[in-house]
Amino acid sequence: MKKKLISLLLVSAMATTMIAGCGSSTETTTESAASTTAETTAESTAETTASTTEETTADTAAAETGELPDYSGVELTYWSMWNSAEPQGQVLQEAADAFSEQTGAKINIEWKGRDIKTIVMAALESGEKIDMFEDSDSNMATVYKDYLYDLTDMAAAADYENHSFKCLTDYLVNKAGFLCAIPEQPQVGGVFYNKDIFEACGITEVPATWEDYLAACQTMVDNGYQPLALDSTYADFLFTYHLDRVIGTEAISDLAVNGGWSENEGVIQAAQQQIDFINAGYLADGAPDEYPASQNKIGLTGEVAMVVCANYVASEVNNNTGTEVNWGMFNYPEVEGGVDPSNAYAGSNAIGITSYSENPQAAFDFAMFLTTGEYDQKMADTASQIPADPSNTAPAMLDGTIETLQATVNPLTWNAGLNDNADLKTSLKDVIIGLYEGRYATGEEFAAAMDALY
Amino acid sequence: MPPFLSEEVKKMKKNKAMIVGFILPCALTLLVMYLYPVLRTILMSFFAIDSVTADVGTWSFNGFGNYARIFGSATFLTSLSNMLKIWLVGGILVLTIALLFAVILTSGIRFKKFFRAAIYLPNVISAVALATMWIQYIYNQDYGLLNSMLEMVGLEGVKWLGTDTKFWAMLAAFVFGAVGYYMLIFISGIERIPQDLYEAATIDGANKFHQFFRITLPLLKGIIKTNLTFWSINTITFFLWSKMFSPISSEASTIVPVVYLYDTVFGSTGNAERDAGAGAAVGVVLAIFVGIIYLITSKFLKDDDLEF
Repeated sequence: MKKKLISLLLVSAMATTMIAGCGSSTETTTESAASTTAETTAESTAETTASTTEETTADTAAAETGELPDYSGVELTYWSMWNSAEPQGQVLQEAADAFSEQTGAKINIEWKGRDIKTIVMAALESGEKIDMFEDSDSNMATVYKDYLYDLTDMAAAADYENHSFKCLTDYLVNKAGFLCAIPEQPQVGGVFYNKDIFEACGITEVPATWEDYLAACQTMVDNGYQPLALDSTYADFLFTYHLDRVIGTEAISDLAVNGGWSENEGVIQAAQQQIDFINAGYLADGAPDEYPASQNKIGLTGEVAMVVCANYVASEVNNNTGTEVNWGMFNYPEVEGGVDPSNAYAGSNAIGITSYSENPQAAFDFAMFLTTGEYDQKMADTASQIPADPSNTAPAMLDGTIETLQATVNPLTWNAGLNDNADLKTSLKDVIIGLYEGRYATGEEFAAAMDALY
Repeated sequence: MPPFLSEEVKKMKKNKAMIVGFILPCALTLLVMYLYPVLRTILMSFFAIDSVTADVGTWSFNGFGNYARIFGSATFLTSLSNMLKIWLVGGILVLTIALLFAVILTSGIRFKKFFRAAIYLPNVISAVALATMWIQYIYNQDYGLLNSMLEMVGLEGVKWLGTDTKFWAMLAAFVFGAVGYYMLIFISGIERIPQDLYEAATIDGANKFHQFFRITLPLLKGIIKTNLTFWSINTITFFLWSKMFSPISSEASTIVPVVYLYDTVFGSTGNAERDAGAGAAVGVVLAIFVGIIYLITSKFLKDDDLEF
C-alpha cells in the first residue's frame, strides 16, 4: 500500500512538473526571474545593485587605463554561434578565461553553433538566463532588437566610436533605432584577387572603373590567365554588385519587389555588360561552377585571378586547397554613368546583451574585451578574419579590407536589395545563374526573363 | 451485495487507480509534446505571427491570409512541384529498384549478406557526407567520376550541376542513398512468405516471373503500403539534400517545401524577415498531404484480403 502511495505521489509529481514547465511564457519569465534571483548570492546582489554611475566611472577609467573593474561573484551566460572546436570558439574561450582571471567574473559559454538563430528567440521570449549572445547583425537589428539592451551610453563611456567601424555600428543604430549590439568578425565584399597574377601580368594598379577592369581582364587572358572565378551560389551576389554600381541598391530593391526589370535601362545595360564579359572569355573555365569548385581553382590551378565574394573566401580557398594565395582585395569597380561606387557589401556578426541581463555592464565589458585590443587581434589572426577594431591589423591575406570598410558609408546588404523579395528571390537567383550560363543573348532577354516571374 | 463481490470491486478500483497512475505520465506527455504543438501549429496558421514562440497575446487574426500568401508565392509553388517530382519519379525509381534488389537477394544468390550490407551502407553514412561526395567527386565537371567516364569513351563532359540538370542530379544522388532502406523492408516482407507456396508453384510449373507476379507481389501488398507511406513522409520532409545542393542560399531548381518553411520562419541570407504564421500554414498543408496519401494508399492497397 505504502509503495503504491509513493508511486502515485511520484507520478503526480512528475505530471505537475510537466504542466508547470509548459505554462505560458509570461509565467515562465516570472518563474525563471524568481529562481535566478534566488540563486544569486547576497554578495553578488549587493554588487550588482551598486550604482551605475560608479560602474560607468569605473569603466571609463578602465577604458583609459586598460584595467578592468572587479566583477567577482558576477556570472555571465554567453550563447555562442560557434562550436568550441572552431578557431573562433577557441579564441572566445581563451578570452573568457582571461577576462575571468582579470575581473573575477564567471563566464558560462554555451556553444549553440549556427543554429542559434532557430533557438535563441524562444529563449529570449521566455526570459531564459542569457546575458549575451551572438548572431548576424541583421538578425540583431531586426528580429531580436526588442530584447536587447541599449548600449549607447556604455559605448560612449568606453570611447567605442574609436574602436569600431562606423558603417557597421551605424547599420545597427539605423535599423534598430539604438546601438543594439557590438559588431564582431566584420565582413566586407569586393574583388579578391591573387596579387602574384596581377604582378605577372604587369598590372600595377587595381582597376577602379569598369573599363580598367575589362582592360585588366584582357591583359590576364593575353598572359594565359583566367580572370574571374564564379560559383553559381554567388552568381546573384556578383550580378547585384554590378547592378548596384549602375542603378543603386534602392532601385534594385524596388525592382525585386515590384518587377518592371525590362523598363529599367540600367538593368538591360548591366546585364549586357555581364553578357559581354562572359562572351569575352573572362570567366574561369567551367564557371559558373558548383560551390566551391570554381573559387578553389584560384588555389588549385594558380591560373584563376579573381573572385567577387566576401572576405571569408580567402581563408576558404587557402584551407580547401592547402595553398597560400597572395591575396589582395579592391572595391568593385565604378561603372560610368552609374551611381556612387564607394560602398561595399559589409556586415558582421554581433554580440547582443539581453535587456533583462542583471549584469549588462560586465557583459558589455566582456564584449569590449573580445572585440578590441589583444583578443580582437587574436581572433583576426587565428580565424583569418578582419579585426572588429580598425586600429588592429588584418591578417596579410585580408590586405585592403580595413580600408574598404572604412571607406564604406552605406554598406550594401547581401545581394544589394534583391533578397527583399523573400518569395521570389530563389527564382530570381536561378534566372541570374542562367545569365552566367549563357542562356540569354541580350540584356533585354534577361530582363524579360526576370519579369516573367511576376 | 455479497462480501466477496465488494472485495472484487475494491480491488478493481485500486487497479484502476494504478492503471490511471501509470498511463497518466505517458498520456500527458503525448498530449503536451504531440497534440499541443499540432493544435498550436494549426491555430498559428490562421494568425499573423513573427516569431514561432511569440506570446499568444501578440497574435493577430489573419483568416486564410497565410494560406493565400503561400499559394500566391511562386517559390512555394515551385517547391511543391519539386516535391511532387521527387515523390513520383523518385518513388518509382526507389521502390522499383529496392524491390528488384530484394527479390534478387532473397532468391538464394551467393554473398547475400555482403550485398545486403553494401546496398544498405549509404543509410549508415551521414547524408551530409554522402551529398558532399556526390557534389564534389561524382558530378564535378573537371575531375568528377561521371565526366571522367564520359571522357574515357571520347565524349564531352556534362555540366551536371547547371540549373537545368541540378534537380535531376540531386534526385539521382538521393535515390542512390534511399534504395537500401526500402530494400530491407521488402526483404523482410518477402522472407515472411512461406517457402512451400513457391515449392508448390514450382511443382505446378510456374517460372520465376510467374512466381513473382502471382505470389510475391500480391503477398507484399501490406509492405508496399508501408513503404509508400514511408516514402511519402520521407519526400514531404525532404530538407537536407536540397540544402546541400544549394549552399549559402536556396535556389529555385532544388527548393522543397520544408526549405521554404525554414526560410520563411527563420529568415534567410540577406533577408531577416520572419513569418511564423506562413510557416505554420506550410506545415499544415504538408500534414494534409501526408494524410491524403495515407488515405489513398489505405483505400487502394488493402492488405487484409489475403491470409498466409
